[in-house]
Amino acid sequence: MKQSLGHRLFIWTGVAVLLIWSLGPIYWTLASSVTPAEDFSARPIHFLPQRFTLDHFSRLLGIDLARIGGVEVWAQFRSALLNSIVTSIAATVLCVAISALGAYAFTRLTFPGRRFLFGAVVATLAIPAYAVLIPLYQIMISLRLVDTYLGVALIYVSAYLPLSLWLLRSVFEALPLSLEEAAQLDGAGRLYIFFKIVLPLAGPGLTAAAILTFLGAWGQYLVPLIFSPNVTKPLTVLIPEFVTKNFIDYGLITASGSIAIIIPALVVIFLNRYLVSGLLAGSVK
Amino acid sequence: MASVSVTNVRKSYGHVEVLHGVGIEIEDGEFVILVGPSGCGKSTLLRMIAGLEDISGGDIAIGGKVVNEVAPKHRDIAMVFQSYALYPHMTVEANMGFSLRLAKAPKNEIQQRVRDAARILGLENLLDRYPRNLSGGQRQRVAMGRAIVRQPQVFLFDEPLSNLDAKLRVQMRSEIKQLHQRLRTTTVYVTHDQVEAMTMADRIVVMRDGYVEQIGSPLDLYDRPDNLFVASFIGSPGMNLIRGHISTDGPVEFIAADGGRMPLPGKVDLERGAEVVYGLRPEHVTIGEGGVDAEVILIEPTGAETQIVCRIGAENVVVALRDRIAVSAGDTLSLIPDLGKLHLFDGITGRRL
Repeated sequence: MKQSLGHRLFIWTGVAVLLIWSLGPIYWTLASSVTPAEDFSARPIHFLPQRFTLDHFSRLLGIDLARIGGVEVWAQFRSALLNSIVTSIAATVLCVAISALGAYAFTRLTFPGRRFLFGAVVATLAIPAYAVLIPLYQIMISLRLVDTYLGVALIYVSAYLPLSLWLLRSVFEALPLSLEEAAQLDGAGRLYIFFKIVLPLAGPGLTAAAILTFLGAWGQYLVPLIFSPNVTKPLTVLIPEFVTKNFIDYGLITASGSIAIIIPALVVIFLNRYLVSGLLAGSVK
Repeated sequence: MASVSVTNVRKSYGHVEVLHGVGIEIEDGEFVILVGPSGCGKSTLLRMIAGLEDISGGDIAIGGKVVNEVAPKHRDIAMVFQSYALYPHMTVEANMGFSLRLAKAPKNEIQQRVRDAARILGLENLLDRYPRNLSGGQRQRVAMGRAIVRQPQVFLFDEPLSNLDAKLRVQMRSEIKQLHQRLRTTTVYVTHDQVEAMTMADRIVVMRDGYVEQIGSPLDLYDRPDNLFVASFIGSPGMNLIRGHISTDGPVEFIAADGGRMPLPGKVDLERGAEVVYGLRPEHVTIGEGGVDAEVILIEPTGAETQIVCRIGAENVVVALRDRIAVSAGDTLSLIPDLGKLHLFDGITGRRL
């Protein structure tokens, strides 16, 4: 079908606006991270960096500090990066594991209060985090879980579990029951069916849940601001600290921001392979 | 191998009863087909035998042992699902050997039994394939292979051929029948297709609305249907059924609702004026002098026989003739019913008279 020029122009304009809107900030972060500090205040603003430098990255990563001078931030950055990775991965693994088991129970087992319980868990999605922060803080203090990996990961799990549970329940519901019945007749027990038949087929759904949880945990700011003040401080809390009373260190902010973008991008690219659908083809019909 | 006995079995979902006290005795090695229109409860009954549905009342026994409370995996049965239910992430070989691996059978025994089943079903070259790379007929065979490998007491089939095209269905039909002749495993098979039932079964159970209408061999059901439902359900083209009554005076004749007259056998012992349904299979009519006049509406040659739709009074009647006769629509034929093969049913209860 041949489209009119006007129609095509309209589409392309829309695509261009969307691309600029979503990629613009990312480009600006990457471009600024390789711009010398002196050029930040240059006017007019240049869209392309006029000069290129890796000084911000050297400073951040503690390479060749003697030449550049300045404060040592590598130790802080390294531990924040590690903390972000550890808490996000822990939250993802825990959340997907618990919600997969839970969602399967909600899908296939009949027990009293099943619908109510599921509704109650999913309803917690509607509760804003700031509404429960203070009581949660008191609970975590009394459990001695503030500023621990376990504590932060558990809070993330409680935040992302309902969404993941909801998603996975619809994934499990879409799996043909006859497969599980066939396995049952073949002599498999509940857990065996879950691990050997259901989970392999729910791969794309599990991947989607994992990506959502990881990205959510990676970007958390408010929760770690309160619950991860020191030892477990993640990147999201560290990066704003490069803004001090007298000086905004754009170089460090954009360099660390660039690295903070790369990690989740790698995770998504890696997991994306498992998002393929059509895994069920040929089993039924 | 084992017998299966279903005694006064009931099934309710909440307050709705879908099986109302069904009783069927299936002998060791028998091939029994449950047939009926959709919603008659045949699949539910099969799933109850498998243990996939709870039994609300009555008993199901396999090999003389009541299995009401026995888990599906301990009933020693194998089931072939309508959707095949092959494990999509396993090869054909893994699919077929799944139950044996679960039972922790020795590796070489699993391999041997899978190969044997594959040979019987002609799947030897497909063992490394995944279900998605198989055709519909091949998937069907793998599903059967998975059942055979188990060497179970009873095979259960739930409409296994309904996803196949017509030609493949006929082929698989004979393969399943041959398989049964070879293995002699007790088989319960569910279908809504009466042709499948007629061609494959040792005995057929005709079900409707949660009741058993009749149990018998295919030819029993065909020759002596117990009631109107079985008469209309079994046979293709279906039996001609004409409503009317016995003449109140004059010679004993059948008078159709529209006033048309049909002859009755001499020895009938029926009350004058009784409401009856006159049942005549299409092939039990011949053409000859002195019969009932019928106007030809439509001629349908199938090759082996010719089906002629004609009208007697206001009733459409189908006649199947082996001879090829030269008639065309609008002609008048003189039909002679084979009175020895006439079926009469009570017009009110529908029971055979």
